[in-house]
Amino acid sequence: MTASTILCVNGRHVTVEADSKTPLLYVLRNDLGLNGPKYGCGLGECGACAVLIGDRAARSCTVPIGAVKTRPITTLEGLGTERDPHPVQAAFIAHQAAQCGYCLNGMIIATVALLRANLHPAEAEIRQALRHHLCRCGTHIEILAAVRAAAAPADTGDRTRGDRTCGDRT
Amino acid sequence: MRGQDMTAPHDRPAADYRADADTLLVARPVAGGAPELFLALRADGGITAFNGHVDLGTGIRTALAQIVAEELSAPFERVTMVLGSTAATPNQGPTIASETIQVAAVPLRQAAATARAFLVDEAAQRLSCPPGALHLEDGVVRAAEGDNLFVTVGELIAGRAIRLALDPQAPLKPSAAYTLVGRAQPRSDISAKATGTFQYVHDVRVPGMVHGRVVRPPHAGFDLGPHVGASLISVDRASVADIAGLIDVVVIGDFVGVVATREENAVAAMRQLKVAWRTPPRIPDLNAPEAPLRDNPSTARVLADRGNVGRALDAAPGAMERTYVWPYQMHGSIGPSCAVAEWQDEGLTVWSGTQNPFPMRRDLSRLLDLPEERIVVERLEAAGCYGRNCADDVTADAALLSRAVGRPVRVQLTREQEHGWEPKGAAQVIDVRGALDAEGGPAAYDFETRYPSNLAPTLALVLTGKVPPVADVAQMGDRTAIPPYAISNLRVTVHDMPPIARASWFRGVSAMPNSFAHESFIDELASAAGVDPIEYRLRYLTDPRAIDLVRAVAERAKWQPHTGPFSHGQAGDILYGRGFAYAVYIHGTFPGTAAAWAAWVADVAVNKVTGEIALTRVICGQDTGQVVNPDGVRHQIHGNVIQSTSRVLKEEVRFSQTAVASLEWGAYPLITFPEVPDIDVLMIPRPDEPPLGAGESASVPSAAAIANAVFDATGIRFRELPLTPEKVRAALNPLTPPASAAQEEKKPARRGWAWPFAGVLCGALAAGAALLPWRAPIAPVSAMGGDVFSSAAIERGRLAAAAGACNVCHVGADGTAFAGGRPLETPFGTVYASNITPDRAAGIGSWSYRAFERAMRQGIRRDGRHLYPAHPYTSFAKADERDIQGLYAYLATQASSPVAAPETRLRFPFSLRPLMAGWNALFLSSAAAPADPARSAEWNRGAELVEGLGHCAACHSPRNALGAEKTGAAHLAGGFADGWHAPALSSASRAPVGWTETALYDYLRTGRSADHGAAAGPMAHVVESLGPLPDADIRAMATYLASLNTATPARDASAVIAASETAATRAAMAEPVGARLFEGACAACHGAGTRLPSLALNSNLHANQPTNVLAALRAGIAAPAGEPDETMAMPSFDASLDQRALGDLLRYLRARFAPERAPWQNLSDAIASARNAPGP
Ligand code: FES
Ligand code: FES
Repeated sequence: MTASTILCVNGRHVTVEADSKTPLLYVLRNDLGLNGPKYGCGLGECGACAVLIGDRAARSCTVPIGAVKTRPITTLEGLGTERDPHPVQAAFIAHQAAQCGYCLNGMIIATVALLRANLHPAEAEIRQALRHHLCRCGTHIEILAAVRAAAAPADTGDRTRGDRTCGDRT
Repeated sequence: MRGQDMTAPHDRPAADYRADADTLLVARPVAGGAPELFLALRADGGITAFNGHVDLGTGIRTALAQIVAEELSAPFERVTMVLGSTAATPNQGPTIASETIQVAAVPLRQAAATARAFLVDEAAQRLSCPPGALHLEDGVVRAAEGDNLFVTVGELIAGRAIRLALDPQAPLKPSAAYTLVGRAQPRSDISAKATGTFQYVHDVRVPGMVHGRVVRPPHAGFDLGPHVGASLISVDRASVADIAGLIDVVVIGDFVGVVATREENAVAAMRQLKVAWRTPPRIPDLNAPEAPLRDNPSTARVLADRGNVGRALDAAPGAMERTYVWPYQMHGSIGPSCAVAEWQDEGLTVWSGTQNPFPMRRDLSRLLDLPEERIVVERLEAAGCYGRNCADDVTADAALLSRAVGRPVRVQLTREQEHGWEPKGAAQVIDVRGALDAEGGPAAYDFETRYPSNLAPTLALVLTGKVPPVADVAQMGDRTAIPPYAISNLRVTVHDMPPIARASWFRGVSAMPNSFAHESFIDELASAAGVDPIEYRLRYLTDPRAIDLVRAVAERAKWQPHTGPFSHGQAGDILYGRGFAYAVYIHGTFPGTAAAWAAWVADVAVNKVTGEIALTRVICGQDTGQVVNPDGVRHQIHGNVIQSTSRVLKEEVRFSQTAVASLEWGAYPLITFPEVPDIDVLMIPRPDEPPLGAGESASVPSAAAIANAVFDATGIRFRELPLTPEKVRAALNPLTPPASAAQEEKKPARRGWAWPFAGVLCGALAAGAALLPWRAPIAPVSAMGGDVFSSAAIERGRLAAAAGACNVCHVGADGTAFAGGRPLETPFGTVYASNITPDRAAGIGSWSYRAFERAMRQGIRRDGRHLYPAHPYTSFAKADERDIQGLYAYLATQASSPVAAPETRLRFPFSLRPLMAGWNALFLSSAAAPADPARSAEWNRGAELVEGLGHCAACHSPRNALGAEKTGAAHLAGGFADGWHAPALSSASRAPVGWTETALYDYLRTGRSADHGAAAGPMAHVVESLGPLPDADIRAMATYLASLNTATPARDASAVIAASETAATRAAMAEPVGARLFEGACAACHGAGTRLPSLALNSNLHANQPTNVLAALRAGIAAPAGEPDETMAMPSFDASLDQRALGDLLRYLRARFAPERAPWQNLSDAIASARNAPGP
C-alpha cells in the first residue's frame, strides 16, 4: 500500500511515496537519483547495493523502506565527491581500484563500515569484511591495497567522516 | 531532494561534426557510404577521437586516449574518446578485448599521424621553412624549443573546415620519442566511479521513463529447437490486475513483459503474472559434459597434420591417451544486464551495454522491421562481462516494450534471469594421444578438441519468431589449438559443432581449455621422460620470445628443477606443490593472430583431508609488446589471474533436466577475498614491438599451471574442471565411501494431522449437533455506536486488538485494517477472514455487543451461523469481559470497508457449518484462563493474555483430527499456522537452548532473541501487532510462557554454537554443494562473524520437519519490527533455488547447525509439497 515514508538520507530528510515494503535500493535510485548503490542480485548475496545505515553496512536490496525508520542512511554520494572524496574513496582512486567499477560502491561502503568499527584492521579482518562482496573483474588486489592504505596507522584522514544524523537540515 | 539525477546521453552524430566550422577532421573513405570519422581537432585545442570498440570496464578508453595524445604530442586531458556509438563512431565489429589495442587502435593512430603531418606541412608553408625542421608539441608547431618562430594549431584550424582522408602511410612517431605511451596513466573514470557520479547504462534516465521486466520461458539457457518461440500456452492478465501503476502486459510469441510506472511494481507484476508454458524438452546431462559433447554431431576440421602421427603412435611404446573436460561457465557480470529504449515516431534510440553496437542495430532493425538509419544505439558502460552476456537481449526487450507502450522503458534483468539466460562460456572436451621417443622427446601428438558453437542469437529474435531457432555452427574451437612445441608428428583436429546450451565467447575462448590440455600433457610427458617440466618445455619451444619469457618467469620464481611430484613436501595434512604453464593466446580466424605471451608459476597448498586447494601465490609473466599503460596492463594481469583462478577452482554451471539451474551466486560461486592469491607480475620490456592485446592472455595458462601444481603436491593428475574439494578428495582417498549424512532413511511418514476418516467424524459431529439447538440470530442494530464509547474503553480495545493480533488475520488484501479477505490455509480447506470493520453490509456494523460477544466467545455469527475454529473463540472465551467490550468499542471506531470477504468454502464435511455446533459441544470449554493466587500478579496477567486474548494455543497447540486444539500435555506443544510450524512453547520444545524469560521478552518485544533468532512468517506479524502493548504486558507473557517449559536441557548458547562449528568441516565434506550454496547465498548474513545469531540456535533447524526453513526460504522473512539495529529482511529464494538446490542446502544446514539431530527424512517430498503450496 502506498504511503509516505520519511527517510534520512545523506544528512537530509526526504519523503517518498511508495509501498513500505519497497526495497530501499529502488527508492534511493529511482526516487532520489542516487546511483551509487547498484542492483546486483536482490538477494543480499553480492554487496553491490550496500549503504550505511547508521555506522553499519546494509544491503539495500533487502531493506524495506518501512524498516528504516529514523536511522540515518549514507550512500556513496553522501561520503564524498570527486572534488572532495572521503578518505576511503580517495584511497580507492589512488590505487586505481576498479576495472568496471560496478562492485565499487559495495567495496567502499564495506570499508567505511569496517573502519568505523575497527580503525586498524589486520589483513585477515579486511578480507573477512569484504568476503561477501563479489567482484567479477578480479580487482581484488587493487581493492585490498586501497583498503590497507585507508587503514594504515599513518593515515590520519577522517575516515569516520560522514553524516550520521539529519538534524534540522531538510 | 533529488541527487545527481542523470539523464540519458546522446552522442553527437558524425554528421554534426562534419558540419562544424573551425575543425580538422580525419576520416576514412567508405565506398558508397559516409566516410568513417576517426578524429576531430577543434581550434580551441579540444581533441575528440572515435573508436568502434567499447570499454568493457578494462580501461581501454584511457589507453586509446593515450595513443591519440601521444601521436599528436598533446596533453592527455585534451583527448575525449567516443566509443562504440552507432551515431558517431566507425563500425569496427564486435569488441573482443584483445583486439582493441592490437587491431582497432591502428587506424586511430594513423588518423592522428595524418593530422600531425598535415599540420606540420601547413605550418612549414606559413613559416616558410622546411617541414622536416618543425615539430608539433602541445598544440604548437615550432622549429626548436623556445624558438619564437611558431604557429599554433588553433591558428592553423581557425576559420577553416579541414577534411582529411586517413593516410595509412602517414609516418608514425618513433617509440623512442614517446612520453605518454608506456607511462602509467591514471584511468579517467575511477574517481567518478568511486563517488557515484559515473553513468552506467543502469543509471540512464529519460524523461517519462517507466519500468519493464520480462518473464522468460522455463527452458532457461537454451534457445534452439522447435519449442523455442512456441512454448507459451496462456497469460492471465487478470492475475496482475491489482498491481498499482501497471501499464501493460506485452506478449509477442514467447516474449512476455510487464511495464509499470514504478520499478518495484514491475517486479511485483513479473512475480505475480500467471503464465502457462509447455513443459520444455529434456536436455542431455550437461553437468557431465563429456558424453553430450561427444554425442553432438560435429564436423572434423584438421588444422595441422605433420609427419605421420598414426605410425609414430603405433611405433612408440606406452602411448598415453588423455581426456580433458572443461565445464560450462558463466560470464557472471556483477550487474545483471539493463537497457533503456525510447520509441518515437522518428525512430528508436536505445541506451545499451552491448559490446557490439553495430550488430545490435542490425538485430533491432530485424526485430522491429525498422530501417537501420532510424535506430541509434548509444553505448554506455555496464558491469564487466568478459564476453557477451545478456546486454544485447535486454536491449531488444526494452525496444519491444517501449514500442508496445509508446513510452521510454527501462528493463533490468533479474539476477536469476541473467544467470539462467546469459549465453554461457561453452564446455569443451579435448583428447590427446601422445608418446615419447627413445630420447624422451615427444614422438607424436594427436590433439582433438570439441567445441560447441557460441553464436547465440539475440533472445527476442527467437522468442518472437523473427529468427528461426536453428543452430549456426561457428569455427571458434581452434584458438591456441596448435601446441607451441616442435613436434615432428603432429595432428590437430577441431570438431566444430552446433551449440547445446546457449553460448557466446568468454575470455580466452577455446584457448583456455586447449591450453589446459597442451600444458597438462606436456607436463605429463616431462614427468614420463624424467625431465624437469620447464627444462622440457624449453627443449621444444621454438619461438624466441616464448623462450625468453619462460626463462624470465622461472628465474623470478626461483624455480627448483625437479623430475617428479612431491617437490615441495607437506606439513600435517597440507601438501604443497608448484606448477608451471605457458601459452600464447591466438585469436581471430585460424591461423589467427597472437596476442600477448603469458606464463604462470602457481603455488598451491592442498588439504588432503578436505580436498580443498588454496592457491597461495602466482608468478605471472607477460610479453605484451609495447605497453601503452603499464598500470592498466598490470591490473589486467591481476584481473585475469584472479578470474581464471576462480574459473579453475570453483566454477561450473549446474543444469536441471530442462534448464540452467545455477540461478544465483550460491549455485555459481565466484572467488572471494580470503581466497585471492598473492600475485607477482613480471612484464617483459618490449618498447619497440607493436602493442599486443593484454585482455585475455594471462588467463590462458591458468588451468594447467594449477593442475600441474596439484600434481606436484599430490601425485595425481586432474583433467576435469573445476577442481572442487570433493573431486580432489575422491581422488586422494579413493577407498573412503561417500559420507553418509546425506543418505535419507526412506520411511513412509505422513504429516500427523492429515485428514483421516471423514465419515466417522461426520457422525461424531452430527451426534454433537443433535444435542444442541440451532442458534438463533441476534437482531441487527442500526449502528455499533462508535461515538458513545468512552475513550478509556476504546484505548483498552486498541490494546486488546494488539494482544489478540486481530489484524494479522483480518487485514484487508490492500492493507486496510480489519477489512478481511485474507485466506488462511487450514488442514480442512481455506478459511477467509471476515470483514470486522463497522460496515453494515460487509462488516459487523449491524452487530450488537451481544452478537459480537457471542461470536468472540462461542463462534456464532450474528445471523446464528457457526464460525470455523480458525477464529480462536475457544481462547477468547477465556478473555476478560472488559477486553471484549473494549474491542467492540475500538472496532466501532475504525474506518468502514465496504468490501465483503470471500465466502469460505471448506471440503465436505466441514462445509456443513451446522456441524460446528457439534464441534463446539465437544471442544469449547468454558474454563477461564488459568489463575493461580500463589503465583505473582505478573504470571497471572501473562496467563490471561497468553491463554485468552493472545490465543497462542490457536497456532502453537497441535490440533486433533477435527481441527480442535489438543489439550493437556499437548497444550502449546507445537502446531501449524499458514504453512508454518508453530514450535512448542511447552516442555516439548525442540529449541537447542532453553527459552528464558528474557529471551521470550526480547522475542515478543523486538521480534528477535539473541539465542533463538528472528520471528518469521505469521509470528512476525504477531510481534508487530503486539507493538502497542506496554512492556509490562509483554513481560507478563514472558513470565507465564517461561513457566510452561521446564524440560529443555539447560545448554548454553555458546555450547550449541561450538558444536555447530565443530560440525562445519564434516558437514561441508558430506554436503559440498549445500555448503557452497550456504556460503554464497546465506553466509553474507548468517555466516561466522555476522551479527545475526548463529543458525545453530534456531529452533527451526532442530525441528522434526524442515517446514519453517522451507517456508522462510520460499517467502522470506520481514525485517524484525522492534529490533533497534536491524533493517534487513530475508529475501525470498523462491525463484532462485530449485528443488535440488533446496535439498542440498537443507541437508547441509541440518548437518551443520543441528549436528546432533538425525537428518530430515523424506526431504524431497517435503520440498515438493512446500513448492506446490500456494505462492509465497
Ligand atoms: S544487490 Fe543487494 S546484495 Fe546483491
Ligand atoms: S570491478 Fe568489475 S565487478 Fe569489481
